[in-house]
Order: sequence, then C-alpha cells, then structure tokens
Amino acid sequence: MTFLERTTDARKLRHWEGNMEADYIYTSGVAGERFFVALRDQGKMLASRCAACGLDYLPARLFCEDCFAELTEFVDVPQEGRVAALTVAHLDREGVRLSRPQVWAFVTFQGIRGGLVHRLLVPPGRARVGLAVRPKLKAREDRVGAITDIEGFEPVGS
Amino acid sequence: MSERITKWPGVELSAADLSEGKVTQTRFRPNAKYAWSAGEAMSRFLAELQDGRLIARTCHSCKRTLFPPRMFCEECFRPTDTWTYIQDTGTIETFSVSYLDTDAKRIPDPILVGVISLDGASPKMGMMHYFGEMTKEEIRIGMRVKAVWKPWEERRGSVLDIKYFAPLPEGKK
Repeated sequence: MTFLERTTDARKLRHWEGNMEADYIYTSGVAGERFFVALRDQGKMLASRCAACGLDYLPARLFCEDCFAELTEFVDVPQEGRVAALTVAHLDREGVRLSRPQVWAFVTFQGIRGGLVHRLLVPPGRARVGLAVRPKLKAREDRVGAITDIEGFEPVGS
Repeated sequence: MSERITKWPGVELSAADLSEGKVTQTRFRPNAKYAWSAGEAMSRFLAELQDGRLIARTCHSCKRTLFPPRMFCEECFRPTDTWTYIQDTGTIETFSVSYLDTDAKRIPDPILVGVISLDGASPKMGMMHYFGEMTKEEIRIGMRVKAVWKPWEERRGSVLDIKYFAPLPEGKK
C-alpha cells in the first residue's frame, strides 16, 4: 500500500454520511429592503440615486461606490431593459440535468449603473444579446419581497 | 462599548423580527452533504471489533506493532507491513474518576475512564475506554484488566462493542 494506491472513495470503507445543517437567513439590508418592499407592494424596481455623482444604482444600495456618500433617494428603474450578456444552463444548481435548458441573462437599463441577473423567458434559440426585455412579475398576492417575485424577463411586445 | 460609542450604528433586528417577517429575507439551507470514512486501517479495526478481536499493524522496519492500527509508520516514514491480532488484556496506564457524563452533565456515581496499554501491542500503545467491576477506591495505575465484550448480536463495529475493561485476577489470562 503506497500513497498512490490509496482509496479516494470514502464509501468503499467504513463511513458515515450526513448533511450539514448550515441554514441561514439573509436580510436585504436598508436599501435592499426599500427595493424589495417596492417590488412586492407596488410591482416596481427602484434604484438608489447619488445626486452628487449623477448615478443611479441597481441593485439599490446604501452607499455610493464613487463618492462614499450615503444614499437616501430612490428613483424608478425604466420598465424596459436590454440583455447585456446571457448563458444557457443545462444543469440545475445541484448539477442535475434540466429537462429543458434555461436561459439566464444580465439585464441592464438605460441610465442605470448595474443590472439584474435573472431568468430570460425565451427558448435558447431566441436568446440574444441586445434583446429588449421587461420584467414579468408574479401576481400581487404571490409576491413576498424577494427576487423571485420577478418570474423572469420576457421580450417586449410578447 | 466605550465612552464615545454608546450605541452601534445600524438597524438592530431581533429573532422575532425575522420570524414574524418584519423585514424581507432569504432563507436557505445549502445541500452540504458529506461522507466521512474511517480510513483503511480503522475500517478493518472496527470490523474486527464486531468479531471480538483487536487488530494492529506491524512495521517490519522498527518492529513495532501499532495500535490502533495505521497504514503508515510515523517513525520510519514508510507504509506498515502486516496485520497482527493483539490480546484484549492490558495494563491501566492512566485513569480519571469523572463526575460528569458524556454530555458534561453532573452525575452522583462517577464513571471510570482511562487509557489501557494492550498486551501484544508495542509499549504504551492501547486505547481509551471505560472501567467496570471496580470502585474508584480500587482502581490504580498498573492494574491488570481484560475487555468485557457485548454479546455478539449487540455489536455494531464500534469501540463500544467492548462494554468496559474489568480487573484481571493475577495468573489469569
């Protein structure tokens, strides 16, 4: 028995299996709270504005990353955005093959710094950078104040 | 805190604020599975326990019999060579009289635990275990002991397949 012959599969020997109970609760934070409450209650997206730098941030945040000023002003994000980048996922986050590939996109909005990564609700063949999209929201009673309140982004005019 | 700071900045949240959903939040449990193996030597050791035997590994270079068994000799820096059965008798090397149980709960009748050097293994090699059939007044370092095994059908391939070590009368094996 040498190092090179060692067993690398724990299951071939006497072993114990378990699941780490690493549960967590992640709160949205001050600016995130404003964003998610507006999304849930009014069905709109907010960006935080830095008047000094002339910047609107999405996702909304508490501080301007250019001048470090605290941000207290919020503005509406335009209804329509564009696909800046995309990827087609064939596996879910557990690594299990999906029955149907999913399209994920980074969506940006005119005049807004940042953007959102979300599902793109088109077949992979129709997905392309530059596509004009708008968020598809869940019904008011199903919204809980989470990013999943947006079902995904769908092409404008569909 | 300090003279200048009496209150931390920020928003304090209580456990109730979270459970009542006063703030938006994301809850998640990552799928963090693990498989922990006892390794080559310890797996055989545990399997042998179920058969009521203690097994060690011998290194042909330093002639030591390593117990608990390991596949690598830390003295010679080379793989060990053969499996060797050792006896379930030995000598108390050190012991404790514990008034705390395994959950650190106070108990009126103490448990006796300690390290036993086992016969057949190299000097000072053995295992830690419970002692039974003796009082805290009777136990002493150097005392000869023998393993008391659980009945075969109750053994699980665990060190607890040995119930405890009991006194070994002189002249007995």
